[in-house]
Amino acid sequence: MDVQTVQGRKKDWRKLWKEMKKSKYIYLLLLPGITFLIVFSYVPMYGILLAFKNFQFNKGILGSPWVGFDNFRYLFVEKDFWNAVHNTFIISLGKIITGFPVPIVLALLLNELKAGKFKKALQTIYTFPNFLSWIIVSGFVLNIFSDSGAANSLMELLGFSRHAFLGDSGLFRPIIFVSDIWKGMGWSSIIYLAAISGIDPALYEAAEVDGANRLQKIRFITWPGMKATAVLLLLIAVGNSMNAGFDQVFNLYNPLVYNTGDIIDTYIYRITFQGNPSFGVSTAVGLFKSVINFVLLLFADRIAKLVGERGIF
Amino acid sequence: MKKKITGMDITIYIILIVLALIIIFPFYNALIVSLVPQEDYVRNPFMFWPKRFDFSSYEFVLGSAKLKNGFLISGITTILGLLYSMFLTICTAYALSRKKFPGKGIILNMLIVTMYFSGGLIPFYILMRNLHLIDKIAVLILPGGLNIFYMLIMRNFMSTIPESITESAKIDGANELVILVRIILPLCLPVLATVGLFYIVDKWNDWFPGMLYIKSNFKQPLQTVLRSIIASANNLDVSAADLASNKPMYQDGVKMASVIVSMLPVMLIYPFVQRFFMKGVMLGAVKE
Repeated sequence: MDVQTVQGRKKDWRKLWKEMKKSKYIYLLLLPGITFLIVFSYVPMYGILLAFKNFQFNKGILGSPWVGFDNFRYLFVEKDFWNAVHNTFIISLGKIITGFPVPIVLALLLNELKAGKFKKALQTIYTFPNFLSWIIVSGFVLNIFSDSGAANSLMELLGFSRHAFLGDSGLFRPIIFVSDIWKGMGWSSIIYLAAISGIDPALYEAAEVDGANRLQKIRFITWPGMKATAVLLLLIAVGNSMNAGFDQVFNLYNPLVYNTGDIIDTYIYRITFQGNPSFGVSTAVGLFKSVINFVLLLFADRIAKLVGERGIF
Repeated sequence: MKKKITGMDITIYIILIVLALIIIFPFYNALIVSLVPQEDYVRNPFMFWPKRFDFSSYEFVLGSAKLKNGFLISGITTILGLLYSMFLTICTAYALSRKKFPGKGIILNMLIVTMYFSGGLIPFYILMRNLHLIDKIAVLILPGGLNIFYMLIMRNFMSTIPESITESAKIDGANELVILVRIILPLCLPVLATVGLFYIVDKWNDWFPGMLYIKSNFKQPLQTVLRSIIASANNLDVSAADLASNKPMYQDGVKMASVIVSMLPVMLIYPFVQRFFMKGVMLGAVKE
């Protein structure tokens, strides 16, 4: 490898400039998107500084006094903060455990149907709730579980007394899990069905010839064809654990269930917009969440590559 | 060889139908609640067919300026937001679908980083304030510009278009802009429809920015208005202060009528556009 001469390096720069000139329309096309990202994604990142400051309105972000890790020190002894962190993990984990198998089973069941109007109608019904906002779905849930709602009516029918479902902190998480499954299972099952449709039909034909029954076909052909998708979706879910569903929880929770239902995002919302806001502390929580989120993503990515699947990065 | 209907077949059918009923039940329940007088409802919420029909909830909802404004605002922000987002997404997706150009890797990473990191709620709120967007309708449109995930879907599709077509166009003297508009876009109609629909759903369902950044009642989008109706005077929330403050309290019938009315447009359109969403999944799945 010969040493680069000054002449050689000048040639590289000129080549680069030529390349860039050739791509000038590409840069033009990228300009709107990049501007958008800088304004709405990168500029706010600078606000992360607030986590290390004691924010005072009149002084703005730059003028507010620096307090180092004080906000974090304050936070780490706050009971409510750790409660929110704990709930976030439990709820995310619970959603994965309860919710992950359902779309898979549903896809397998749907796959057994012949294509036709019935199958299409079912898919329309199953997938529709996915496109509703949590405002609407929470409207349904609040209605059904309210003191005079269908759930309590059922309780009375069965001889039990009415129960304040929505105020019961022990029931809050199950309600979250069930409503999440109700809303999402249809759409997730479609993703698996898409994966199944990629399986070579010849495999099924060969299995038929070999005398395989329905369960054997599922075990040896269908499931292996779905596994890659399942692993990918599982990893995305794990990497997303810090989120736990703000839209859903915020619209379904109330002060009676904070101890089991408050998640990091709702905690941030409350300490920011209710009571005595300390923007520095709020931002500190957000920063904490982002860092843990990043670590989780790296972890999920590493596991993905370990089992031989494509990672996220 | 005619296939016999086995017990397993019947079991599968039954399970699927029961599941469908479970999905349908909340909708049906909401409909019933919206159509019966409050007294009937309180006494027997599990009824299957109302003894008396009461349309007063719907009269109230359809006459309510609040919801009408909500529909109007949401309609405006969804359509304008769609045009805005599609513009940003198409330009960015196409540019990134081109083979090597200087800086491609850096820019791609810049974009993906924003999918996972953000400054958080406060810095964003401060930004909205500094941009004088608080309480302006633009705040419901501008921040929701580019969804990186959707952009990547579009980019992946665009990169499957054979180079030969773009190369021959370049030889004929076309620049990237012309190629995009005259050649690429017509070939991309499926993915444009799918991404467009995903954006429409996202924007139509958006409620949080409306709650956070809009103070004037008549400027709030539909879902934000709906939320204020549903969250009002829950059985658990009613306090003496609430009663004294004359805060609006809505009966269950009105709440559910609001939900039904808000949901109606989506419900009517969905069966017709469903296949575009399905296709979108296929497009994404094939890439895997």
